[in-house]
Amino acid sequence: MQVNGIVVSTGIAFGQALNITTQPQPLDLRLLPLSSIETEKQSLNNAISKLIKHLQDCQQRVCPSCDNFQLIDADILLLEDDELLTDMLQHIVLYRVSAAVAIDRTFNDQAQVIAEMADPYLANRSQDILLLGQRLITILQGANQHDLSKLSQDTILLADDLTPADFAMLPLEFIKGIVLESGGLTSHTAILARSAGIPALLNCPWSSQDGHITDGSPLILDGMSGVLYINPIPTELASLQLKQAHHLEQQQALMTYKDMLSQTLDSHPLILRANVGNLSDISSLMQVGAEGIGLFRTEFLLMNAKALPDENQQYKLYSEAMHALSGQMLSIRTFDVGADKEIPCLHQHTEENPALGVRGIRYSLQHPEMFMVQIKAILRAASHGQIRLMFPMVSQLEELQQALELIEQAKQQLREQGARFGSVEYGIVVETPAAVLALASMLPYLDFVSIGSNDLTQYTLAADRTNPKLVSSYPTLSPAVIRLIAMTISDCQEANVKVCLCGELAGNEHVLPLLMGMGLNELSINPSNLLAVKSRVINGNYQTFLQHAQLVKQLKTNAAIDEAIKKFNLDN
Amino acid sequence: MYQKTVTIIAPHGIHTRPAALLVKEAKSFDCDVIVECNGKQASAKSLFKLQTLGLYQGVEVTVIAQGEQAQQAVERVSELLITLS
Repeated sequence: MQVNGIVVSTGIAFGQALNITTQPQPLDLRLLPLSSIETEKQSLNNAISKLIKHLQDCQQRVCPSCDNFQLIDADILLLEDDELLTDMLQHIVLYRVSAAVAIDRTFNDQAQVIAEMADPYLANRSQDILLLGQRLITILQGANQHDLSKLSQDTILLADDLTPADFAMLPLEFIKGIVLESGGLTSHTAILARSAGIPALLNCPWSSQDGHITDGSPLILDGMSGVLYINPIPTELASLQLKQAHHLEQQQALMTYKDMLSQTLDSHPLILRANVGNLSDISSLMQVGAEGIGLFRTEFLLMNAKALPDENQQYKLYSEAMHALSGQMLSIRTFDVGADKEIPCLHQHTEENPALGVRGIRYSLQHPEMFMVQIKAILRAASHGQIRLMFPMVSQLEELQQALELIEQAKQQLREQGARFGSVEYGIVVETPAAVLALASMLPYLDFVSIGSNDLTQYTLAADRTNPKLVSSYPTLSPAVIRLIAMTISDCQEANVKVCLCGELAGNEHVLPLLMGMGLNELSINPSNLLAVKSRVINGNYQTFLQHAQLVKQLKTNAAIDEAIKKFNLDN
Repeated sequence: MYQKTVTIIAPHGIHTRPAALLVKEAKSFDCDVIVECNGKQASAKSLFKLQTLGLYQGVEVTVIAQGEQAQQAVERVSELLITLS
């Protein structure tokens, strides 16, 4: 039996099923005999203590400064709340109902009150209350809290969704695959699974096959084709084992491309750089032979920091990155905070509509005290080698001019302090249709442009890519997005400004012929996909790429584009 | 008895995380601390009750305490109400 899902982390995994979603049993609504009331009160108390204990255990695995820690804290405080306990105990006595019914009603009433609040953000908290109530009921009913620390067999995890906190608690040595009912391509689970190298499927309706999956059922997760096999038959097992062996072999084979020149059969070169989220990623980009860093996501420096790193700390970090690259290009993107990236040390305000809110360069311009520290640190690091500096989410010329004005001020301050600094190249990340349309006015100020295809797609199609209901109907390659990329490339070529692409699109080897054929000669890619893309370059012919791009640019539907790309890769 | 009235300025009001911090602080005082908002009252030591008050941005809140350390408790809790977000 098979179920389809969307691949967010590739690979093939074999393991037994473990369903970690807990469904409460139906409640027994009958009137209790008076003699049982004391027992029910007692079992309520026991369940509460048990859940508090469990939450405290979980909490110990999370860093005390992160949001998850405080959210678990709030759950514990609620469970310890005398007024809540009194309400539930009274419910048992007054209505002569079981502890489970008392929990259900009390938490539902509470959630109801909260759900009716005028502020939608506060009203949404009612979900957390319901979830806590459900957890308490499952404990009362004796359902096991899944203790994953005792896993000893290869396991494929089945869940509705996982929070980053859940993920932090997984014993990764036994988790061979992850299958989620919901989730989106750029969700946290997807990113975490990819970085841990665990094959993962999202949007996979595994629970509709509930009758066939029980814990321990053999599963195969084919994270190449996006299929979950339940109780695979011997022929399926054999063919997937073969496929896995082939996949591993292929990865091995790709290593031979590492030291080859990155150019097509007809000698057209492509520069391949790596996207990097932290210093340890630098070692993996060396392993795949990337020509430096095309995107250094500096906001990762802030994610787990208690306070904003000061100028010297940042300077040290950027210099370290530069030294590790031994002279190759370091492209630094200034802090891209906001939207879905919540950063504790910045005390951001929650926004009604964060994707359209104060993010990227907007945040930096509103917080020059933070921005100036970063700029000064980067300018100082530039005294050791070549740095490209790029600003995220620039959509208007004014934003670019203000950023450059602040850089002049930073240089002036460094001069006054007598600090050594170097010159940098300036660029913007093109992420909004506005940036494309206004690009000509910005190009005179720029040395390079980097296309951020993920956000450009999201803002062009006005479709949230983390929304599971939109994932399949709003693909990355739509005629509108291709047109915007083409416009960006042609404006840059006309102004003689370098242009590269740094989104997920760059890491797809099947799309490579199109991107090169459209005129891109520099890509920045996740290190894990770099060699696959490079092999496509080395085995391809630039003249055919050009023809392919001409054809694809004329196509009018997503499906036609998809089809043309598939066909080209089969034929060439 | 000691009391003080403040206005919530946090954009999303006192939601789960700030409320939890506030309750923890309130619990460190021996006296009873009451938070009053739109005619409803709740103990500042009960997250369960506090959540139902609807402490939105712009809402006026009165903090009331009686007994030992009443003044300190009121000052501390009202300070948190206007600074937490």
